[in-house]
Amino acid sequence: MRSRIAVCCAKWVYRMIHLFHLGDGAALPGAVAKRIDPGILRMLAGMVTEGVLVVLGTNGKTTVNSILYQVLKEQGKTVLANRTGANMENGITTAFVLAADAREGIQADYACIEVDENAAFTVLPQLMPAGILLTNLFRDQLDRYGEVDAVYERIRRAIFQTPDAVLILNGDDALLSDLLSECPNRAVTYGIEEAVFDEAAKPRVREGVFCRFCGRRLVYTLVHYGQLGHYYCPGCGRKRPRPDDWADRVHIEGEACCFRLDGRLLRPRMTARYQIYNILAAYAALKAVEGPVDRFGSAIEKFDFDNHRESRFYIDGASIQLYLAKNPVGFQQKLSLLCQDPGRKDVLILVNDTAQDGRDVSWLWDVDFEYLKEARPAAIVVGGKRRYDMGLRLKYEEIPCRVTEHIPKAIRKLAASGTKNLYILVNYSSLYPIHRMLCRWEEKENIYSWKEEEK
Amino acid sequence: MKLVIGHFYPELLNLYGDRGNLSCLRMRLQWRGIGVTVVPLAAGEPVDFSGLDLVLMGGGSDREQELACGFLQKIKGEFYRYVEEGGTVLAVCGGYQLLGEYYQTRTKKLKGLGILGIHTTWEPARLVGNIILDSGLCADAIVGFENHGGRTWIGDYEPLGRVRLGLGNTGDGAWEGIHYKNVIGTYLHGPLLPKNPQICDLLLETALKEKYGSAVRLSPLPDELEQIAGREMVKRGRRRQGRGLFH
Repeated sequence: MRSRIAVCCAKWVYRMIHLFHLGDGAALPGAVAKRIDPGILRMLAGMVTEGVLVVLGTNGKTTVNSILYQVLKEQGKTVLANRTGANMENGITTAFVLAADAREGIQADYACIEVDENAAFTVLPQLMPAGILLTNLFRDQLDRYGEVDAVYERIRRAIFQTPDAVLILNGDDALLSDLLSECPNRAVTYGIEEAVFDEAAKPRVREGVFCRFCGRRLVYTLVHYGQLGHYYCPGCGRKRPRPDDWADRVHIEGEACCFRLDGRLLRPRMTARYQIYNILAAYAALKAVEGPVDRFGSAIEKFDFDNHRESRFYIDGASIQLYLAKNPVGFQQKLSLLCQDPGRKDVLILVNDTAQDGRDVSWLWDVDFEYLKEARPAAIVVGGKRRYDMGLRLKYEEIPCRVTEHIPKAIRKLAASGTKNLYILVNYSSLYPIHRMLCRWEEKENIYSWKEEEK
Repeated sequence: MKLVIGHFYPELLNLYGDRGNLSCLRMRLQWRGIGVTVVPLAAGEPVDFSGLDLVLMGGGSDREQELACGFLQKIKGEFYRYVEEGGTVLAVCGGYQLLGEYYQTRTKKLKGLGILGIHTTWEPARLVGNIILDSGLCADAIVGFENHGGRTWIGDYEPLGRVRLGLGNTGDGAWEGIHYKNVIGTYLHGPLLPKNPQICDLLLETALKEKYGSAVRLSPLPDELEQIAGREMVKRGRRRQGRGLFH
């Protein structure tokens, strides 16, 4: 009874929020439901028939989660997933209560839930997941999360409460793979077998250079990027696990990055190589929980990697690519993409320091910006709340740039009179506002040209 | 003229973009036509302090700091002499804590280098936020970001500055950092030097004077961007004054 009231109230709150345009209602309905019935998340999660899949890790959570969602749907399953950014307890509860029916509860085969590292400890025991997927561990928003060792510890303690879940982890990650010996859970790993990443993609500041167990320096026979690669410890002998699922024969066809997975050649619509990890992760996870993988290949080839994190727009006859670059490793990957584009280009970098971004902008100095020089942009403009800090960072790399206080105007100008090939790199809080703005501009422009044609 | 900068444990003590301090020191020498060599010191290897003009130490996680601490014990004596004889040192965060006698973490007591008679104790509430100091060492306000679980008790030592906004050494909003002989210890990230070029030039002048005997006056550099970035933070700080946490 209590849970029924909780679901009804949450839905009513959600409707009110939208009726009066009070925000997106991603967290409040869940908070209300939890207040009425503290056991609501545990109960609804328990009704998912084939299992809950949890995605954890610094980079790639949202992409992996949407791959899982799409691939499962494509294969005829009913799937519940939480929305981007709604990955704290209230956001996750909101996803469940809004998908529930007051009388029937949840009717879903799977739930794919990305969980913030800080929420994992409280959320995991309520979700009782069938599988916990771990993408990677990099330094990110140190003022909010603390250093990677602290994040590792939080994740370890969270997993410890769910010993029945199977772990699906990136075995190339020298930090994450420590969980294999520290958690009692059954585990599978995935990895990339061959050299794939260029120098620009590899930040020089790395985590976990020394073994957690014996303190010796790890030896790498192959470095992918960060602490990802093929490693072993000469002290205690621990080493990269032999992956249960792996990618090899990576090559470029046209603009697309193709590779072989489980004996099948995949041609996904993506250019960034780190996406290989995201696809591998999803595949390994589905196999590990005995989910459907028969049509994984065709589903992934249809998958749209544009999910707001790498989007392309055409405005004023210019191609505009919007990239999220919210931490050093993520930023480095995006710089590597810039270097791979041999054409003339302009670059706009926007840095904010809201609570979502992390208040501390010191991390900009962990990015190797010399590769921005190598990408040889015609113009570099910096903006956002911490534009002067960004400008200062480039100054010490001897990269000239212009500081702007008016972002829309700067974009308009670069699009109209620049190289017609603009890259915009943003951290979290500017991503959606800029995305919305570019969508609006593009739409207007398309309506305009369509009208022209009618005449 | 030429300076040799020893960078302590770039693989262990490299949190919070602190290598920006190194590029700041290096570039500001290069821009003035002064030679510079950076010696990255690998953990566990012997160090020849007589060849170093300036020593830089950053911070790491508790685990990494413990490892670094073990390596440093072996060169404790030489490091102590280097400091007492006027060697220039910038130690940030974990490096600052390591200069002291001990660091009591949540679980254990890490023995420090004992170069300074200070000590640090860990408390669960982290001290996080933007910070502004007034210091006798430079005319402009020092701006940065602090993020530490340790509280450092400096006794009668001279602090780096008075906290105008923020939390400081022990979280009481009074004093921050330490200044002893030619050593500066501080919790300030940002990184410290690019944001506060006056401190950078002070360290360089000190090191040059120690090396070449006579006082050196560095030629001024165009620092407009640094000044604007600093002023921007001071302005934001003023708006927040009296409204609790400063972001």
